Amino acid sequence: MFEKFRSNIEVAEAHCDAPCGVYDPASARIAAEAVLSMTKKILDLKVPEGDAKATANYHNTLARYILVKEEQARDAKEQLLILWTDYFKPVHLEKYPNLHDTFWKAAKLCSACKVEVSLEHANELMDAVKEVHNIFWATKDRDVAWYTAS
Amino acid sequence: MENELRGANWKDRLRFSLDRRLAFLIEGESMWPTLNDGDVVLVKRTQSARQDDIVLANHPYRSSVKIVKRVAEILPDGALILRGDNPLESTDSRAFGSISKSDVIGRVVCRLAKLNVDK
Repeated sequence: MFEKFRSNIEVAEAHCDAPCGVYDPASARIAAEAVLSMTKKILDLKVPEGDAKATANYHNTLARYILVKEEQARDAKEQLLILWTDYFKPVHLEKYPNLHDTFWKAAKLCSACKVEVSLEHANELMDAVKEVHNIFWATKDRDVAWYTAS
Repeated sequence: MENELRGANWKDRLRFSLDRRLAFLIEGESMWPTLNDGDVVLVKRTQSARQDDIVLANHPYRSSVKIVKRVAEILPDGALILRGDNPLESTDSRAFGSISKSDVIGRVVCRLAKLNVDK
């Protein structure tokens, strides 16, 4: 009986894959918005003249803007990759043949926005995330309007 | 859990020895607390499943993988929405959509044993 038992047994998977299927492109959108906002703030920041204290403040503020921009760009990329690799499935690709290209470009824009101070690329990143938003909700047959927090 | 799985009785063991039941080793914790990693269950071959049944099915995208999940819902077209009992640790229909009835291999009818498997 036991021999039969061992030879007949197969494995059934009951594995986990957190975050357990709760996906929403909103997390990528929020990060991308922060990147856009920080890019604008960096570009708007005025270099002070003379005053040592004002100069120190300027450098401090600039460093903080840069830090947040880089963090959020990295986060936007991670959130996009989670959607791309975990949520989207071959059936979605059949329906949206440009899916890989959309994500690839969006991820590349995250890298560009992290490295550069480019309003153009930050806006393009927002457009790319919007495209992901539209495809994502279309796969769920849900009409979720695009919106931004800022 | 409302749908606790019963232990195997002598009839189950007889059916297993007569090849009327398949034995499967559970790997993973997605069906906790109903099933634990290392449990061995007996499966009756059938494609008819009702809501709340625990089923053994082919993974919709990984053909070599078989999964064990609970039927959360049966759609009008016969497709099944599957859920793990452990909401924090499960890849289920929230991740891969519904599965078709033809992917169902059978229904988990009882727990046969707890194996200490060397991994």
